[in-house]
Amino acid sequence: MNCRECEEHLYEFLDKELTPETERQIRGHLADCEPCGEHFDFEGMFLRFLRARCRAQGAPQELKRRLLHDLFGE
Amino acid sequence: MATPTPTPVDQKKRASFEQEALVHLDALYRVALRLTGNAADADDLVQETMLKAYRAWDQYEKGTNAKGWLLTILRNSFINEYRRRTRHPETVDVDTIEPFAVFGEVQEDDPQGAFFDQIVDDEVLKAIDELPVAFRETLVLSDVEGMSYQEIGKILGVPVGTVKSRLFRARQALQGKLYGYAVSMGYIKGSPA
Repeated sequence: MNCRECEEHLYEFLDKELTPETERQIRGHLADCEPCGEHFDFEGMFLRFLRARCRAQGAPQELKRRLLHDLFGE
Repeated sequence: MATPTPTPVDQKKRASFEQEALVHLDALYRVALRLTGNAADADDLVQETMLKAYRAWDQYEKGTNAKGWLLTILRNSFINEYRRRTRHPETVDVDTIEPFAVFGEVQEDDPQGAFFDQIVDDEVLKAIDELPVAFRETLVLSDVEGMSYQEIGKILGVPVGTVKSRLFRARQALQGKLYGYAVSMGYIKGSPA
């Protein structure tokens, strides 16, 4: 696998959407290619950062209360 | 039956709805908030989704993917009733938006993207809310809710290939925006995206 092919699978790799065989080939390339390794690390870090920044919000208590009332008459 | 009194069947339905549907309330609310862009509309959208889901609960095959099923209802409700009302119709063709390679810009100075750490939650959410809706919904389902490409395709009614390309463009667009913001704040040197 060359750098271009590896980059094409960047997000599928990080999203765990690849077959074990393609994933293995990519791991092999990343182990040997520092620039690709750095790029994959960067993008992986970005996805973790995004998730961390967006998970704090939950449904407000008032909405939960209203829902239970409308659904079950409580 | 005008005023239903709780029967053993109702209790059973209620218990399974609580167990399988209500546990996803926070996820539904997060997605609703990103779709509608404000708390009042997100409240209404989630409320409507849960009431619809409860009415249709017999059609849901228990023990399958309740989160995906609920998000499909939520997304359809949004498209049908909220989109036109809460946001201006979008004229931008999402498939023509040029991706901006942030890594190429920062790989010399900050290859680990440490500048992202300085960007607070509200700025990230604001940047997501500025994305076209087709990007926003794909990105939120994947990156916030952790759904698979196939699940997202099912919820949005698009092929997996479309999910993949939208996700790529959405992430690149978001990175570009956040990079531009980081540059404008002096978190990192460079030219704004």
